[in-house]
Amino acid sequence: MLFNVIDELNELRPAEEHLEKNLMAPLIGDSGRLDSAALINLIVLTEQKTAEELGRPILLTDDRTMSQVKEVFGTLGNLAEYIQRLLSEKRDG
Amino acid sequence: MEIKAFTVGDLKTALLSADFWQTKTLPITKHRAISYSHNPRADNDDSVLLVAYQDSQVIGYLGILPDKIFVNDAVYKIGWLTSWWVDPSFATTGVGAILLFQALNAYQQKLGVSGGSKEARKVLDASQKFTALKTLKGLDIKFRLNVTGAILGKRPALKIFRVVFKIFDDMMDEIVNLRNFFWKRRNDICQGLTFEYISLIDEETGQFIQRHHQLDLTRKEKADLNWIMAYPWILSAPLKDSSGRRYYFSSRSNRFFYLGVKVFGQDSRMVGFFMLKVRDDRMSIVYSYCESQHALSIVAAVVYQALAMDVSALSLYDGQLVASFPELGCPYWSTKGISRGFSLSKALAEIPLTNYRLHGGDGDLAFY
Repeated sequence: MLFNVIDELNELRPAEEHLEKNLMAPLIGDSGRLDSAALINLIVLTEQKTAEELGRPILLTDDRTMSQVKEVFGTLGNLAEYIQRLLSEKRDG
Repeated sequence: MEIKAFTVGDLKTALLSADFWQTKTLPITKHRAISYSHNPRADNDDSVLLVAYQDSQVIGYLGILPDKIFVNDAVYKIGWLTSWWVDPSFATTGVGAILLFQALNAYQQKLGVSGGSKEARKVLDASQKFTALKTLKGLDIKFRLNVTGAILGKRPALKIFRVVFKIFDDMMDEIVNLRNFFWKRRNDICQGLTFEYISLIDEETGQFIQRHHQLDLTRKEKADLNWIMAYPWILSAPLKDSSGRRYYFSSRSNRFFYLGVKVFGQDSRMVGFFMLKVRDDRMSIVYSYCESQHALSIVAAVVYQALAMDVSALSLYDGQLVASFPELGCPYWSTKGISRGFSLSKALAEIPLTNYRLHGGDGDLAFY
């Protein structure tokens, strides 16, 4: 699902700024490639795709997520793990 | 990275703290902080400034201006985004996005945006959280040529010809003065109107505004306009001071002031009120109130003030005044249509916004 998000995000970006579909690829931070607008695009697209493809909406803009942005959006892998955690929290509780 | 939210109360404390003002980059100027802390529409626990710190230094900030919008009998508390800045060397840390989402969360997703830079618009559009209101259309009237400013603004290298441009401008100004002199003699532009200048809204004006602001989205009252006039974000000062140099947004101009102008008809009845702002050689009408039959008289009064204050340009955003301006037939070099964009977050989408009025000073625009 996240790779589909990256595909859509890359369509909005020039070829030289395309993100790799690699779980270790840095998103934000010292070696990150996303500015604020691109990060917001990523968040919006991820929320939309989670609702559409998994049928379970999640919120990535609440204070809890915002307080750990560096960790959550550090790499694609971190984001995948965080989404999984949110989804299992929803399922369990 | 640490994000700190400053409420009105926190800002009052920060004003007394030496440490807050020691950072290399300032997230706010003192006079703007004083203004925020006197906002009559803000509560003491409203977040008004979000600051991102890295190793105790400011790497980004976002100001929020608490306000109220009125639709029919309903009142909604909102915050207008203002002064949003991110240190370019931290552009890929997500700090701009964090600031925006924290502001939305602090105001239950109810925010507004007035104007805004291209970069800010890009981020706001990406968030898909905002919907545009109707565009406020206005008119920019150029009374003086100001070739010096226009050319040197675009080509600073031509500074060596400054004297030549200045002489040309002075000659043109004399032509303008002559044209204005004959126009004023031929036309009694103020048609027996009288004015009263005020630096604070008095009772009579407050009541006049209340009778004419029912359709206004932000329905400004006496206390709101007094606050704007008493606590400007830009000071009249010849040079940037030490805090101005450490703050990214405007904090001073050579000439900056507000003035309230009450307009009375021949029968001494108040027929209009406008609040003008002069910044350097430009006058803008930030709030104006009158009945439609008096629009021509009011725009005449506005032009009369602009000529008397010797400004180069005048910006009008009141539809009635813009429509009446051509009837005046006053001399000018050029006019062009201008516009100001406003957006509200989608959380306010349920508000039945159909027939409402915006002013040129709404949002944070009165302050710049």
